[in-house]
Amino acid sequence: MAILQGKKAIIIGDRDGIPGDAIKACAESAGADVVFSSTECFV
Amino acid sequence: MDLENQKRVLEFTEEYGKDNVVVILGAAEGEAASLAAETVTLGDPTFAGPLAGVSLGLAVYHVVEPAVKEEFDPAVYDEQCGMMEMVLDVDDICNEMNAIREQAAEV
Amino acid sequence: MSNSVIKGAGYILVHVPGMVMDHGTTQTTEKVVNPDSEYLKEMPSHMRSYEQALSYAPNQTYIGNLSIEDLTAMGDPWYEEGKQVEGKRYGKFGEIMPEAEFILMLQICDAFDLVRLDKDFVAATRPALEAHPLMTPAILGLLKEGVDQDDINHYVNEEHAEAITLDGKLVGYVKRAHDVDANLSAHVMFENLVAKASGVLSILHLVKNAGIDASEVDYVIDCCEEACGDMNQRGGGNFAKSEAEIAGLKNATGSDARGFCAGPAHAMVEAAALVKSGAYKNVIVVGGGCTAKLGMNGKDHVKKGLPILEDCLGGFAILVSENDGINPEINLDVLGRHTVGTGAAPQNVIQSLVTDPLAANGMTIKDVDKYSPEMQNPDITKPAGAGDVPEANYKMIAALGVKLGQLQRTEIASFVAEHGLKGYAPTQGHIPSGVPYIGYARESILEGKTKNAMIIGKGSLFLGRMTNLFDGVSFLIQKNTGKDDAPVAAAGSGKQPVIGIAASGTELGRENLEKAVALAAKKGVKAVIIDGEDCLSKMEEMLKAGEIDAAVASHYPFPIGVSTVGRVVTPAEGKEMFLANTTGTSSTDRVAAMVLNTVAGIIAAKACGNDKPTVGIANVDGARQAEIALNKLSEGGYKINFAESSRADGGAVMRGNDLLKGSADIMVIDSLTGNLMMKMFSAFTTGGSFESTGFGYGPGIGEGYSQLVLIISRASGAPVIANACAYAAELVNAGWTKIAAKEYAAANKAGLAQIIEDIKASNAKAPAAAGAAKIEAPAKEVCDADIHGVEVMDIEDAVTSLWAKGIYAESGMGCTGPVVMVNASKLDAASDVLREGGYIK
Repeated sequence: MAILQGKKAIIIGDRDGIPGDAIKACAESAGADVVFSSTECFV
Repeated sequence: MDLENQKRVLEFTEEYGKDNVVVILGAAEGEAASLAAETVTLGDPTFAGPLAGVSLGLAVYHVVEPAVKEEFDPAVYDEQCGMMEMVLDVDDICNEMNAIREQAAEV
Repeated sequence: MSNSVIKGAGYILVHVPGMVMDHGTTQTTEKVVNPDSEYLKEMPSHMRSYEQALSYAPNQTYIGNLSIEDLTAMGDPWYEEGKQVEGKRYGKFGEIMPEAEFILMLQICDAFDLVRLDKDFVAATRPALEAHPLMTPAILGLLKEGVDQDDINHYVNEEHAEAITLDGKLVGYVKRAHDVDANLSAHVMFENLVAKASGVLSILHLVKNAGIDASEVDYVIDCCEEACGDMNQRGGGNFAKSEAEIAGLKNATGSDARGFCAGPAHAMVEAAALVKSGAYKNVIVVGGGCTAKLGMNGKDHVKKGLPILEDCLGGFAILVSENDGINPEINLDVLGRHTVGTGAAPQNVIQSLVTDPLAANGMTIKDVDKYSPEMQNPDITKPAGAGDVPEANYKMIAALGVKLGQLQRTEIASFVAEHGLKGYAPTQGHIPSGVPYIGYARESILEGKTKNAMIIGKGSLFLGRMTNLFDGVSFLIQKNTGKDDAPVAAAGSGKQPVIGIAASGTELGRENLEKAVALAAKKGVKAVIIDGEDCLSKMEEMLKAGEIDAAVASHYPFPIGVSTVGRVVTPAEGKEMFLANTTGTSSTDRVAAMVLNTVAGIIAAKACGNDKPTVGIANVDGARQAEIALNKLSEGGYKINFAESSRADGGAVMRGNDLLKGSADIMVIDSLTGNLMMKMFSAFTTGGSFESTGFGYGPGIGEGYSQLVLIISRASGAPVIANACAYAAELVNAGWTKIAAKEYAAANKAGLAQIIEDIKASNAKAPAAAGAAKIEAPAKEVCDADIHGVEVMDIEDAVTSLWAKGIYAESGMGCTGPVVMVNASKLDAASDVLREGGYIK
C-alpha cells in the first residue's frame, strides 16, 4: 500500500539537509496533500 | 524540534487523525532525523515542546528513505534531492530511522 | 572601471558567560517553558572560564593567531583535552575581550542613559579598559561613574530593566527606553547595544589593521541581524552610523543592510559596488554579535558532557577601498545570486551561487582556490545534529561539479580537502557566513599562496515568516589585476600576453621553435619555449600560476567535450577560414560533435574579431543531420548566419570547391576529416613534411573549459607556430573565456542540450536495433515504392528495422540520395516504422 498517496503530509525540512520546499515537491509528486511545510535552522 | 513545528504537528494530527498523517523529514544527519522522528512518534525527548510526553505514533520517513523515495516522481526527486544523496550519509539516516520506527512499534 | 579592493579586516570575540545564561533564547525559552529543568540546573557547571575560551583553538584562529592549516592539522573536535593552545587575548585581526570590559563598552555605546552600572564594578574594571590599546580618550570619556546597588535592584525588580550580571553577580542593568513601546523594551535595547558595542570594537580593530585614518572612512554598512527603531518604524535604523559615531569615523555616513546570514555577503557586494562606482572611496562593512544565539545548542552540548561552546559574541569589520594596485580585488563579474525563481532544491541553490556565476565567466569549480561558505565551527554543530556545515557545503559544490562533468565522482574527497576550509567561527548567524575567511584570504592572495577565493553567504529568509524563500549571494576575491581598466576576465595581468610553446617531439628541431619565437616577436607577440620531456606538465603549472596566458602545444589530451578550432588560409583567394574542428572530441556522436563544433567555431571567430561569422557545413557523413539540428538551434534563438555554397544549387552544405574557396568563415566538419583538411591546407605547397601556412590546429574549446591551449603538429613550421602564438594572443586579448561563456549561455538557452540529446538518442537507436540479434529478411516481395530521406549511414539499419517488423525491404541509391524500397502496399506501414525509428522525419 502506498505510504503517501492521498495522505496529509507534514514536512520538517532542514536548511543544511533537504529544505521543506524541496521535500514538498517530492511529496506532491507522490500524490500526498502537503498541509504544512517548514524548514529548520540549527545555525 | 522547533516548538512551533511541534505545535503544528499536534494540531494537524488532531484535525486529520493520526492514521491520515505522514511526517517527512529532511534532516542533515541521522541523529537529528532520529530526534525529530522520536518527537512525532514517542514524544519530545527534550521535554521542551507541546509533544513532550505525547506519543502520537505518526508514520514518519526521511525523504531519502527508499520506502518513500520509490513513490516520488523520479525526475522530481532527482531535481530536488539528487545531488544531496552524494552529500548526506544516507545509510546512517536510514538506520537511525529504522531504529526509531522499531522502538515506536514496541510501545 | 577598476574593481574595489579589500584593504583590511578586523575580527573580534567577546567571552560573555553571563549573557549566555540571561539572554540566549534557548535558555530564556527553557526558563519559561520548563523552569525546573535539569538543563538549567546543570548548565552553569558547563560554562568555560575566560582563560578556557582563550585557549580554545578555533577562537585563536578567528582572531588570527592560529592559522587555518594548523587548526586543521590538529583535527577536530578541538574541545578535547590536550588540544588547548596558547591563550592570547590579541591577534593580528582583533581580540577576545572579557565580559567585564565589554559591559563598560555597553555603557560607552549607550547614548540614551539606559545603561547603568554598579560604581564599584566600574571603578574596579575601568583600569583594564584604559589599558586597552584602542580605547581613545574620547571613547573612555563616555564612561560614567556608576550607581549604587540599591538603584540597580530597584530598576531590575520594579522597572522591567534587563539585568547585567558578571559571575552571577548583578552589576548593572539596561532600562527600557519607553514604558509601552515593545521595540524600545529593555530586552530589545540590551540586544541592540550588544550588537552596537561589538560592532564598534570590530571597527576599532579594523581601522588599526588597515592602517587608515579614521577620518578617511566615508561610508559604513552594518549587516547584523538586529533591528533598531521605535513602534512607528520598527526597523528604522541605523546601527551603521551609530557605530561610526563611537568609533570616531567623523566623515562617514552609512546604512544597514539585512539578509539573515546572507547579510554580510550582500553588504560586501554593495560596498564593492559603491566603491567601484566612485560614489565612496572607503566603505566599512561591519557586523556585531548576537546575544540571542548564545548557547543556542547548549542542550545538546550539556547532554554530551561538553562545555557550552557558544559562549562568545562574534564581530567583524572589513574595509573595501578604491583599487590601489596591490590588495586583492572584489570581482563583481563573478556574482552569484539566489533569485526568486531559483527554488529551494540544494542543487539549484549551489548552482545559482557557485557554478552559474563561474560558468558565465568561463570558469569551473576547480578554478577557485578556496571557497568560504558558512564557516560554522563543527565542534558546535556536530553534537547538535547539524553536521559539519562547511564540509557539507563543499560536498554539495563537488557533487554539483560531478553532475556538470567538471569533476569525477572519485575526486569529491580530494576536492573538499583542496578547496575547502575547516569551520572555526561561532554560530552567531551572520558572523560565520562567508566573511570570516576574508582576512585570511587577503593575506594568502597577497602572499601569492592562492589566487582567489569565493565568499558565499546564505540566509534562511523563511525564519522571518514573510516568505518561504531561501537566499544567498556570492562573490569572488582575486589577486589584484592592476589599477587600469584592463578586461578582468583575461588570464594574467592584462598586459601583453605571454604564450608558452611546448613542442616536445617536434620533427623540425629546436631551431624551428626559436625561429617561431622570433617571428612571433615581429608580430608583437611574446612567446617562450618550454623545454623538456615534461614540458606539458610544466606548461600546465605555468598556465595555472599565470606565468603564461596561453600555450601552443604539439600534443595535449583534452577531455571529451573539448576540441580545437583550426584556422587556415584558403588557396583560391587567400581568405582565412576557421575549421571546426581539427582535433579532440566534442562528442562521441559524430553529428552531435558537428553541432558543438559550430558553437566552438563561432566562439573562435568572434574572439578573432568577426562578429557575424558565416557558417557552412562540409559535405561529410551527417552533414544533413547537422544542418537540421543547427536550423533548430537557430530557430530556438541562437542565430546562425548560414553561408551559401558557391555551387549553383547553393545551400549551407559545402562542397570541395567551397573549402578551397573559403565560402564560409567557419567550416563545420567532423574532427577526423577536419584534421585531414588541416594538414592539406597547411602543407600542400611543401609536399607534406613541413606545414608552412595557416595558424595551426587551434584552441581547445568546450563548455566550461577555460585553459587556453592551442595545438600545432610535429610538422608545424616556424611560420605556423608564430601564427598560432598570434592566434593565442588574439584570443587572450579578446577575453575569449567571456565570449565562450556568453555563446554557450545563448546556445543553451536556445535548447542546445536537448538538441544534442535528441541526436544522440536517435543515432543510438539504430545500432541497438541491428545489434540485438541477426534479423533474417522476410519473404522477398516486389519493391516498387521508394522512401527517401534516410541518411546513407543508416540505410542498412533502416532496412533491417523493417525486416524486424516483417516488411521486406531493400536499400538503394536514387538520383537524389539513398532510398529504402518496399512493396507499394506496405509503403505506409514501412514509413511509420522508419519514422518511429527516427530514420525519417
